[in-house]
Amino acid sequence: MGIPEKTMSLCLTSGKLLLRYGAETYRVEETMYRMAKAAGMHNINTFVTLTGIFLSFRTEEEQDLMQMIRVRERYQDLSKVTAVNQVSREFTHSILSIEEAVDKLADIKKASMNYPVWLINLASGIGGAAFSYLIGDSFIDIFPAFIGGLITTLTLVLYQKFLNVKFFAEFLAAVSGVLAAVGLETGGLVQNMDQVVIGTLIPLVPGVPLTNSVRDLMSGDLMAGVARGAEAAVTSLSIAAGTVVSLSVLYF
Amino acid sequence: MWLELIFCFMSTVAFGIIFNIPLRLVWWGGVIGMLTWFIYGTLPDLGFSQVNAAAVAAFTAAFTAHRLAKYKKVPVTTFMIPGIIPLVPGGRAYESMLAFVEENYVNGLGLSVETLLQAGAIAGGIGFALSLFTVRKGAGQRYETDR
Repeated sequence: MGIPEKTMSLCLTSGKLLLRYGAETYRVEETMYRMAKAAGMHNINTFVTLTGIFLSFRTEEEQDLMQMIRVRERYQDLSKVTAVNQVSREFTHSILSIEEAVDKLADIKKASMNYPVWLINLASGIGGAAFSYLIGDSFIDIFPAFIGGLITTLTLVLYQKFLNVKFFAEFLAAVSGVLAAVGLETGGLVQNMDQVVIGTLIPLVPGVPLTNSVRDLMSGDLMAGVARGAEAAVTSLSIAAGTVVSLSVLYF
Repeated sequence: MWLELIFCFMSTVAFGIIFNIPLRLVWWGGVIGMLTWFIYGTLPDLGFSQVNAAAVAAFTAAFTAHRLAKYKKVPVTTFMIPGIIPLVPGGRAYESMLAFVEENYVNGLGLSVETLLQAGAIAGGIGFALSLFTVRKGAGQRYETDR
């Protein structure tokens, strides 16, 4: 492989990693642009939507290259975004050579999650409990909210593994979490049901797509912004539907 | 208020872990979350409306996140997402959903408009901070005056 092909694959890999793990559209475009520019390419054009990346540039020998890549999966793992950002920063300041940068990206791609799953489950319980206190100011409901938040993420991970359908897994996780809350309510452990349900559901809130959607829309990436907004809306709707299904048990 | 701030710090750090933010940066997200909650909790006592307070708090969170991201040289999302989380209008959204379930449509519409307004206020706060940080870099113009 010559330098242009290596540059192309480096840019596309970093762009794919960034987009997959939850970076904003303009960051993906700018990272690829800067890396290609640092490698000596000109006439660089990038086009990034939520599900695909296009990149074209002209090499020093006046030869045009263009490739596109499809990004199917999207996760929320901001530590990988930070790591890729660091690699691109070092590459554009010529601290890393192309080969070193490719190796580092491969390492990032292979690395497991920053935190183990049990810690994420625990964090979702603690987050739900603390958030429920902020909403309702009642100490008694901290414990049921903790259980609810824990069960929500626990089941979300489980369903995602077996079903592999994001929206359905979120729906079922909301059903399970709120069912647990309803169970605790019938057991007489809950004082303020609203507070507990909100603490249960808050770990499912699509924070990454929501924030990124606003940022994309503001910086002019209208297509990606609207697409992310739609993703967040579908997630919110599936959570709401799951909650309604479980709560109807309570009102039955 | 102190207790609320401590709980807010805990919940924001927990959300940082849920979003897989590196350990050395999670604590800063917690500090931004505390700042956000302090503003969001104090302004209504001074006579501002809830939506107004949410907008100011979101702007502060986004502004701090941008500054901190420049200083630490990391993507701004790392600080922004946990900083915004305490403002999420979860309570209102839940109440409006409950009203629709109980076929209390008028009430539900009112509550969902409140939810949307608060979400819009948060988006406005983020957008305003972003515009301040993209001044002169350019993000969409109306007239081509520089020619």
